[in-house]
Amino acid sequence: MPLACRLKAVMKTLLTCLLLALPPWSGVSAAERLYVNDKKAPETRKDLEVIQNALISALPKTRAATVGIEIDEGSGTGVIVSADGLILTAAHVSGGVRKKVTVVLEDGTKLKAETLGLVADTDAAMMRITDKGSWPFVEIDREDSARLGDWVFALGHSGGFDKERGLVARLGRLVRMANSTFQSDCILIGGDSGGPLFDLGGRLVAINSRVGGELQENLHVPMSEFIKNWDGMLKGEFIGEGPFAKKPVKGSGFLGLATDARPAGGLKVTKVGKKTPAEAAGLKEGDVIHKLNGTPLAKREDLQKLLKEMASGDEITLELERGGKTETLTLNLGAR
Amino acid sequence: MRAEIIPAFFLCALAVPSWGQQNLEAAYRSTGSAVTAAFESQRAVLQTSSAVILEGREESGYGVVISPEGHILAKASEVIELKNPAVTVDRTKYPEVKILGVDPEWDVALLKVEAAGLIPVVYAPTSAVPQGTWVVANGATTRTTRRLLAGIVSAKIREIPASGGAALGVVLKADSKVLEIDAVNEKSGAQEAGLKKGDVILAIEGTAVRKIEDIAAALKERKAGSTVEVKLRRGKDEVTAKVRLAAKSELFSDQMNRNDQMSGDFSTRRSGFPRVLQHDILGSSKIVGGPLLDLDGRCLGMNIARANRAESFAIPVEDLKAIGARLMEWAAKPRGQDSVD
Repeated sequence: MPLACRLKAVMKTLLTCLLLALPPWSGVSAAERLYVNDKKAPETRKDLEVIQNALISALPKTRAATVGIEIDEGSGTGVIVSADGLILTAAHVSGGVRKKVTVVLEDGTKLKAETLGLVADTDAAMMRITDKGSWPFVEIDREDSARLGDWVFALGHSGGFDKERGLVARLGRLVRMANSTFQSDCILIGGDSGGPLFDLGGRLVAINSRVGGELQENLHVPMSEFIKNWDGMLKGEFIGEGPFAKKPVKGSGFLGLATDARPAGGLKVTKVGKKTPAEAAGLKEGDVIHKLNGTPLAKREDLQKLLKEMASGDEITLELERGGKTETLTLNLGAR
Repeated sequence: MRAEIIPAFFLCALAVPSWGQQNLEAAYRSTGSAVTAAFESQRAVLQTSSAVILEGREESGYGVVISPEGHILAKASEVIELKNPAVTVDRTKYPEVKILGVDPEWDVALLKVEAAGLIPVVYAPTSAVPQGTWVVANGATTRTTRRLLAGIVSAKIREIPASGGAALGVVLKADSKVLEIDAVNEKSGAQEAGLKKGDVILAIEGTAVRKIEDIAAALKERKAGSTVEVKLRRGKDEVTAKVRLAAKSELFSDQMNRNDQMSGDFSTRRSGFPRVLQHDILGSSKIVGGPLLDLDGRCLGMNIARANRAESFAIPVEDLKAIGARLMEWAAKPRGQDSVD
């Protein structure tokens, strides 16, 4: 399975992040911050109840905005941060830009979505729900107000979406903070990737990313990493070099057919390779391809030139003539 | 659904020593001593009303004290094979442990030690508490002192179907026209019931079976831990055997999935439970069997499986009470009287 292969390669590259000073403390009013966060440890029954009650009241809203993500052959988690369906998740869940994904609400409703940009070296990514609608969403901790020792909770579809079970919550504290990584003792497992980490007020402070061998090693991407790269991600940029996502290489896109130029214009399909994207999309011998993504094709070199600029996973639209009728086919290029 | 799951990554080590990073001292982490100290009143309940099950000096599980006279509920599959179990409650060690009965469907055993004046758990009125509710369970223990771990109720109460379906635990001969047994799994109910290589399966619960799909259909609605009557042909004879079903993936578990590898330690039996309460207390798989307490120190259930790195299961209190009552009643029933009289 290609996904695992990709991840294996990534796993070899370890996180050796240089740690910069934390961004300056900025104003969150004391009223919003629960006193239990500033205690070294809870001491009384009341302290414990304050944590518990804050968590219980934060759960309905945070759960409603937390979604399952089905992509390629994998599944992960993400969280909606705007009414029009912007989703934050992990780069290793999204895997690339402008890919089609399915988003699953907790009640099982499936929605269409596409990946936007990602930051490959810190494991941040964005997606957008493309179905029309207004979606439940959570507030982001924009002020970078999370502090070491804060009580936090993680949500995720641990092990994959399970409607009977619903989202799995885990409570813990922020136990290590570095510039591009938070560590908590909310214990994560496969399937939680890309899911949210919230403070007790239900504000999104980080996105679940990866785990170590110890139960205590649960790593998250802080919101500051998302905010820093917000506009680029929104525009669909592939930022950074990895290891959490691999940049598509230009010219790696594969269609899987042979053509001949027709004197009357267009390229006639002379052969469709077995088990190729062309075959999967339903291209047949004898079809005449007139346009790729709107660009007219007169000779074979035109097609080759266009494909050379594209990468595996890219979506293309072909305008065809089949049996005298014009048809449009949309497909994703495979990997060469 | 069993889609391929996007795994979180393993970090072997942080290769570069980190500077400028903030670390929370171990004592203040969720499992740290300063945090668990806040649960002293719940720990006191574990001290008196949870039992440590020992094999030699090693703890091999925990139990729930349910009577002053020494009735204890524990995870059956973790205690049944112990050669010489002993039990510690509070500071007293009880060297003699009897197994009075077993509920195979729930994987619960009723144990009995010779004791008086033990303090049984107080049952919580309901297990229907909100997700996010604090819960407390046994952590490690010393000879005299119970330790605790705290966490929260983490997901909805539900059934955990037998992973891979319920199975007899036999491998059938591939090229045979009849359902001939080629191998019997050592951990299976088929082994316990004395099924042998060469036996031919004729019927399950009175329904004739001729092909492998018939067996699948006959077992489809059945649960792990339940028993089915299997009719066999052995040589020229026809024999019947009562075979305990087990979750297929637990019998034939040579293939661990990625999340299992990530989990390190998990319970051998972790599926096929009619109803579980899920929480995020994740000690070793040896901490199962003990009570799950709420902040009032009342018993919300009994820990029955560490399913994986991130999920633990407890039998909800309503079911636990019913199982306990059933096993007590069964154990109290005089048996074999006709031979005595």
